[in-house]
Amino acid sequence: MILAFFRNLFRDLVRQPLRTFLTLSGVTWGTFAVILLLAFGTGIGKQQMKQFRGMGQSIILVFPGQTTMTYNGLPKGRRIQVTPDELPLLQARVPGIRALSPEFISSRNIRHGREQLLNTVRGVDVPFERIRNTIPGQGRFINEYDVEQHRRNCFLGATIAKNLFKGMEPVGKQVMIEGVPFTVVGVMIEKDQNSNYNGMRDTHCAFIPWTTYMTLYGVKYVQNFIVQPSDPALSKQTIAALRNYFGERLGFNPLDKDALSVWDFSDFERQFNMFFTAFNIFLGIIGSFTLLVGGVGVASIMLVVVEERIREIGIKLAVGAKRRAIMWQFFAEANCIILIGGTIGFLLAALLLALLPAKQLEEYIGIPKLNPLVGIVTVLILLAIGTLSGLTPARRAAATDPIVALRK
Amino acid sequence: MIEFRNISKVYKMGEVEFVALKGVFITVQKGDFISIMGPSGSGKSTLMNIIGCLDTPSEGSYYLEGKNVSGLTFDQLSTIRNRKVGFVFQNFNLLPYASAYENIELPMLFNGKKGAERKARVNELLEMVGLAPWAKHRPTEMSGGQQQRVAIARALAMDPPIILADEPTGNLDSKSGHEIMEIFSQLWKGGRTILMVTHDPAIAAFSKSTIRLLDGAVQDNGAVH
Repeated sequence: MILAFFRNLFRDLVRQPLRTFLTLSGVTWGTFAVILLLAFGTGIGKQQMKQFRGMGQSIILVFPGQTTMTYNGLPKGRRIQVTPDELPLLQARVPGIRALSPEFISSRNIRHGREQLLNTVRGVDVPFERIRNTIPGQGRFINEYDVEQHRRNCFLGATIAKNLFKGMEPVGKQVMIEGVPFTVVGVMIEKDQNSNYNGMRDTHCAFIPWTTYMTLYGVKYVQNFIVQPSDPALSKQTIAALRNYFGERLGFNPLDKDALSVWDFSDFERQFNMFFTAFNIFLGIIGSFTLLVGGVGVASIMLVVVEERIREIGIKLAVGAKRRAIMWQFFAEANCIILIGGTIGFLLAALLLALLPAKQLEEYIGIPKLNPLVGIVTVLILLAIGTLSGLTPARRAAATDPIVALRK
Repeated sequence: MIEFRNISKVYKMGEVEFVALKGVFITVQKGDFISIMGPSGSGKSTLMNIIGCLDTPSEGSYYLEGKNVSGLTFDQLSTIRNRKVGFVFQNFNLLPYASAYENIELPMLFNGKKGAERKARVNELLEMVGLAPWAKHRPTEMSGGQQQRVAIARALAMDPPIILADEPTGNLDSKSGHEIMEIFSQLWKGGRTILMVTHDPAIAAFSKSTIRLLDGAVQDNGAVH
């Protein structure tokens, strides 16, 4: 029975090659489009997220600013300033903080031999490495002893290291920052980073211990500090607690958003993820419509096929086929055509993705991947379209009056 | 075996009603060979379709092997069509893209018979109608007489007790026609019940008795030859 079914299907497909080609091409093209759109959609989303995380994952940046509300008799417009010693206290008093680091930022003259650059110097604490993903490719990041002993050690971004040392090994060598010698203890790996705040991107920066920074440049207050919450989902609560704590301690209304400006990455990531999910659904819908058009093609061809094979249907009914059997036959045939078209489309899309010069394009569109989700979504769409386009012809076939059909 | 009690069939075409059969009583015994004659539009085909369970009567009762089948649905009747009745048509009604073998196999596909069983039966039937070397050929590659022999083999696939033939020799030359009638005679002698529509008295002469229809009513029931 099943063998006979496939024999018939194959015979029918081969008998009219042009029609088969046109029918299949609609479904093939539709599947191809759905898969590519979804693969590129998720690829772009992932790449953007990866670049975004170049600055750190689920972190909270806090910038002390000016009050815009009066508080306990204090006027508006007061500057809020935070010294680095406040931070260990903050961590002790406010729950939900895993790690934090002060940050001092300024533009400095950095020199090695004859190479001289004006780049950003950041004075930071040890946890900065983990919080901001400044992962060493060679050597190490700033450590506790550097901070404790105000050492003149520095950690360089990949680009600045390349520009200063021109291919020479930088670790262990000296650079002059504003004429003061620093020992290079490590160089950061190359990383993607698509967002930033004060100063240049990490790859152009020199990182030094915050204690050294304060001593050398005579600064008292941090530009900003970075908090890594224990649970990114609770970042909002952590921020509120932080504002309450500092509001009381430094004298400002906790509801005064400008006293401490906050950039909450967790919140941003949530919005970002939502946007890309919506973006992918949108691409999926566009692709599905293309596929739907292919499905309509299959449905109309199948209606013609039913009309052409009305005698065959009549004969089958006369020799004892149930209407249900006829219906299944045509329903299954429509689905087989869609399956074949879908498989070809899938293979073509996979081939294209394999041949794509992904490396050159990675920075912009990421690596489009055939992940299981794309596969599942495509199969579901194909099944839905197969059902839609198979049902009408199958029902028409099953409703054939054998007496009329046999007379034709 | 077959009993019609006051069977009527009315077709509605929009507002107009067309009475194909009115108040027909027929009784066919097991082992009968009956020819049905009558002018065009006299209701022969409708009568055959109702007997073969392809159509249902508007009124009256139809007893097949003692069981009233007039109230059954189309799909309920499919089992009867499959096992009790074998159809042979004037225009053969073979599947044009299938081989003789596949055409004969067709009724068995709707019955869930096993592959080996089907194969044995098809070969036996091909042998019987003398077309064993033609198993792989398509109907378009065969003569009319050969096609009709394939159709008869198909009708016999499920070994039904009743054979219904609607002008089986109508599209054949007289030599092939006679060959076909020889096969029917053999089947009749083998104990099968045969009903056959024909215009040709020479063909009707093969049967045991004749039912004459006119304007949907039985004119002459069972004139024995």
